[in-house]
Amino acid sequence: MMSSALLAIQSTNPIALTPNELWVINTFFYVIAAVGIVAALKMVTTKNVVHAALYLLVVLTVVAATYIVLGAEFAAATQVMVYIGAVMVLLLFGVMLTRAKIGDDGDLDYDSKWIGGLSAVSMFAVMGYSLWEAFGTDELPADMAVQRTGQVANSIFSQYIVPFEALSMLLLAALIGAVVVARRD
Amino acid sequence: MMSLFAQVPVSTPEIQWFYLAPILILALGGVLLITLTSVAPVMRGRHISALFTVATGVLALAFLPFIAARLDGLVDPVAGQGGRPAVDLVSSALVVDHFTLWVSGLISVAVILVAVMLDGYLEREGFESPEWYALLLISASGGVILASAEDLIVTFLGLEILSIAVYVLAALHLRRSESQEAGFKYFILGALSSAIFLYGIAMVYGATGSTTLTGVAGSMTGRNAAGLSPAVDSSLVMVGIALMLIGFGFKVSAFPLHIWTPDVYQGSPTPIVGFMTSAVKVAAFGGMMRVFLVGFGGTFASDWRVLVLFMAGFTILFGSFLAIVQTNIKRTMAFSSIAHAGFMLVGLYAAASPVAIGDTGKRAVLFYLLAYTFMSIGTFAVISIVGKKGDGNHSIEAYRGLAKREPLLAMAFTVLLFGQVGAPFTAGFFAKFRVIAAAAQVERTEAYILAGVAMLGAAVGAYLYLRVVVAMFLDVQESPSTEMADSADETLALVEVRALEVPPATLAVVLLAAVVTLVLGIFPDIGSGALAEAALALVR
Repeated sequence: MMSSALLAIQSTNPIALTPNELWVINTFFYVIAAVGIVAALKMVTTKNVVHAALYLLVVLTVVAATYIVLGAEFAAATQVMVYIGAVMVLLLFGVMLTRAKIGDDGDLDYDSKWIGGLSAVSMFAVMGYSLWEAFGTDELPADMAVQRTGQVANSIFSQYIVPFEALSMLLLAALIGAVVVARRD
Repeated sequence: MMSLFAQVPVSTPEIQWFYLAPILILALGGVLLITLTSVAPVMRGRHISALFTVATGVLALAFLPFIAARLDGLVDPVAGQGGRPAVDLVSSALVVDHFTLWVSGLISVAVILVAVMLDGYLEREGFESPEWYALLLISASGGVILASAEDLIVTFLGLEILSIAVYVLAALHLRRSESQEAGFKYFILGALSSAIFLYGIAMVYGATGSTTLTGVAGSMTGRNAAGLSPAVDSSLVMVGIALMLIGFGFKVSAFPLHIWTPDVYQGSPTPIVGFMTSAVKVAAFGGMMRVFLVGFGGTFASDWRVLVLFMAGFTILFGSFLAIVQTNIKRTMAFSSIAHAGFMLVGLYAAASPVAIGDTGKRAVLFYLLAYTFMSIGTFAVISIVGKKGDGNHSIEAYRGLAKREPLLAMAFTVLLFGQVGAPFTAGFFAKFRVIAAAAQVERTEAYILAGVAMLGAAVGAYLYLRVVVAMFLDVQESPSTEMADSADETLALVEVRALEVPPATLAVVLLAAVVTLVLGIFPDIGSGALAEAALALVR
């Protein structure tokens, strides 16, 4: 049922969803949102680096699933490939190759964590309030269009060519920097 | 499946390469430098990287008058810029106007001067690597992108290119653990501030449905139209503006986001600190002015300028008062640079006012950036020389007796420090005078208070600069016995000062900076035409 609705989103463009399909999508969203929130909280509270990395994996997957629900297929695919693929592997390699303790580590706790918690909660309150006030009652359009990968490609190489090129300069700077900092002469 | 290949041809935007010249020269200069040095052994000789960087900076600088002339010759200026000559480039991602040219000019000058002093520094420290210069050039290109960005996505990318290269540069003195610590600290905190900045962009986009500055400004003015429902949600916009203010505030080290500054300045290689106080600050203020005055200058200016007011006042007070208790010259200068950022924020506060005063405020900030670029680069060139091999000789005591050993250096340093005090007949006087005058012109109670706070800060700040000047003119033998507590350290430092090596090129940078400080202090109207054009380009 769920997958047929999602397939429907991806096959035609735009489409009108039946109330039944909308209900499925909404339920799916609430489920992944709940999973994402729990995983995010566990990620910052766990005392085990590898567990934290795996909780992060769950959070990133939830973000990818949200993109699918919103019909942004390219963003979802990129999220899976870059974050879940590359960044997670990098993180786990980082844990493995450094002398980080695998298993429970009391040092991961931070005495002044309540400051961080306080700022996180207040930031959440402010942003949550303003987002709720702006979009609280809005609904996604029933004939929501799926953003095609082809469209993304076209706009990257036409309208957004400057951000694309600037991004490549940014990556070059990061690349040179990584090599230089890691090298021991 | 065939439909996949039967795409409609994409209409690519027209690119006016001529106007992009400064960005392209700086960015390609960096790429070319790192490529050439890896394939051609000839390029690895001494001084060649520095010469290449200086030549790149000069080339970028040389293009600016021609671009200015071409801009003035435009028959049909873009309407969105209020009739001011401006060119929208590559589907409104970048805009080139006189403001862009002013900022690009300052950044290019900073690149040239920093490259020259970096040459002497690297030779002394025994690093012979082109990547310092390549990162310098790439960072500078990011700065120019930031100041000319017309789209918030490009603003963010410019900010990141500027920053990432500087994070690495801060950590590049591989033999000093303080340098590594500085780079890491700067990176972690900078990444956090970038994330917050990006949140701000997302909120503004959510509220206005546009990422271009003209689009954002347009949808905000729509809110005022009588009888229409608000075009944008005001609380969402306010949160977005506040978050973006945090992002920029971090980069210019404004209170309460200044805490990283002393640690990073103390640990980073000294010429790189010169780059941070000049090019990075110029670019960050350039981007901030463009985003806030053009993008958010309309309906919401009266809201965010209150935030800027408080930021400015506290930044000046914290910078000036905390600088007094420092014993390390780099930490002192870090707090001094915080205070200077506060003065520039005073100018920004005035610039957010209605038209006539606003222009005075913009001119004041732009002049301040010009003066501070030269004064801070000169100051850090002196600190770099006195820092000695290892870049660690930075206690204020190290300056004792400098006037006797290196009279020319001490003289130039005195001029630069008096410039930072804001003494008459130096550029610093007019820089401070203009921002305070612009704030006073706003003619509101809180503006007068801010002007008063700025004057108090300037007076308090004078003490810290004069302390260094006094130390320089004191005799070594007259070292007061009350400070015998750490005499072992001191005598060691004094012995080292005697063997001060002064690279001629670095000395030339110091002298040039001192001369510019004096010339701008005696003839403050030099270049005021370009200054006025640059200020007028930011039409709200």
